[in-house]
Amino acid sequence: MATPHQSPAPDEVGFGSQLLQSVNRRSFLRYSGMTAAAVGLVLAGCDDDDNGGSTPTSVNLGSGNVGVLNYAYALEQLEAAFYAQVVATPYTGITADETAALRAIARHEAIHRDFFKAAITAVAPTGIIGNLTPNFTGFNFADKGSVLSLARTFEDLGVAAYNGAGRLIDTSTPAGLTYLVLAGKIVSVEARHAAQIREFLQAGSFANDVVNALGLDRALTPTEVLAQAQPFITETINGSNLPS
Amino acid sequence: MNLFKILAELEQVDPEVADRLNSRRSALSALGNISKKITLASAPAIIGAAFNKTLAQGTGSPLADVLNYALLLERLEAAYYTRALQASTAPALATAFSGNATLRTAIEKIRDNENAHVALLTAALGSAAAAAPTGFNFAAAYTDLPTFLTFAQAFEDLGVRAYKGQAGNISRTATVAANTSVTVTNAGQSSTASIGGANVLQVALQIHATEARHAAYIRYLRRQAAYATAASGSIGNQFGWITGKAGNGAPAPVYDAGNPATTFPAEDNVSQGGLNLTSQLAATYTAAEVSEAFDEPLDSATVRSIASGFIIP
Repeated sequence: MATPHQSPAPDEVGFGSQLLQSVNRRSFLRYSGMTAAAVGLVLAGCDDDDNGGSTPTSVNLGSGNVGVLNYAYALEQLEAAFYAQVVATPYTGITADETAALRAIARHEAIHRDFFKAAITAVAPTGIIGNLTPNFTGFNFADKGSVLSLARTFEDLGVAAYNGAGRLIDTSTPAGLTYLVLAGKIVSVEARHAAQIREFLQAGSFANDVVNALGLDRALTPTEVLAQAQPFITETINGSNLPS
Repeated sequence: MNLFKILAELEQVDPEVADRLNSRRSALSALGNISKKITLASAPAIIGAAFNKTLAQGTGSPLADVLNYALLLERLEAAYYTRALQASTAPALATAFSGNATLRTAIEKIRDNENAHVALLTAALGSAAAAAPTGFNFAAAYTDLPTFLTFAQAFEDLGVRAYKGQAGNISRTATVAANTSVTVTNAGQSSTASIGGANVLQVALQIHATEARHAAYIRYLRRQAAYATAASGSIGNQFGWITGKAGNGAPAPVYDAGNPATTFPAEDNVSQGGLNLTSQLAATYTAAEVSEAFDEPLDSATVRSIASGFIIP
């Protein structure tokens, strides 16, 4: 093996050229200053070169349990990208508590994203979706109210998505049962995030408007969830083959 | 435990059981390395799920057992908050609640949610609903506000683990009987809702998420100095999630491993799906971060054992 610090590894070459392409492709001017650069880095940071350097315009989540896993992976990608940006460009007036909590949540979502990528790759290397391109065009990451409100939306949406997806997982196989348990392990953490973010917005609002009179948190279908997530994702997400 | 005896007994009520277990075994052998680890870890849940599809109907079925177990925990939680908010049953807390409207409203909201869960599960179980225990004993928890919150956190985190531990035991096709309705009271207002035909697994997940919201709220509340307990020292460092297996004064067994530990690891577990997530993902993460990112299930025997100290059977 060559000495360290010589030429970049093939991965790094791919990384760099892909970053360049993605910036060109999406027209640098659509973003402003620091935000644009940071968004590019966020995307490249989770890229694994498996979309061959061209952004697909449509991403099909697929069917069966792999489809459900891809669905969760897509949402975790969106959340991870959002919080990475929040951490990279903290909003005006951020408190020490908020900084610590948002950094922690960013790590949790990155772990979820990376875990789904590893897990889906292990069972369906050709079925896994690629890296999605988040679209926060026009969103003001400098405004506290905007950031915390969108964080609340994403967390509440994530909880409702997992709640609604549980029964879509085919648990007739051992692997399927494992997926259900893993979804359960993650959804309660998303609910904890949601409650935490809500406390930053308004004390005592941990369950306002998302927990109904029966004490039930929301459960949404993939169609309902994707309709809300789609505006923040560049590629068109096709969930039409998911179980229902 | 005699597994063969249990299987023989199950075969009498479910003749296809052997076939289904066989097909599961062949499915198991066809899986790869990572999946195999997962599979072994979740074997008890698999066996449970294999049975409950056909045994779900009727009193004493596995599904009714799961729901009655949930009902017991909800009854405990509902009683815990109901009594805490009454000066007659928790005199030491009365001043704290009367002087803090935001806190009182929040705790009332949690109480309403727990009462709704009790009503919902009781209605869903119908004639299979178990009788309530003789009573509960929360005297040790009502001594002051910080102690009350410490145990509230313990019950909420325990509830989250308990539901998570049962997800695999509820058939995804099980539904609440048609024409089932439930009456609940929220903020003093009663309302009736229909739950007939509701998917039981989805309802359980929806309750589970609500409990997690409660847990996070209580945990973050305890971060603030005004609510930190002298007995357990200053909290000051916890957010809504569980770092490692830190209870910050709440009973340690709530966060420890259950039985078997491979299926019900402690909250500081860093391995998921056969991968050590601190070192085997695309980036490296600390053990604290990984433990926070995943909550862990707990088995019913361990949960019951922890809860039994507060229940008068």
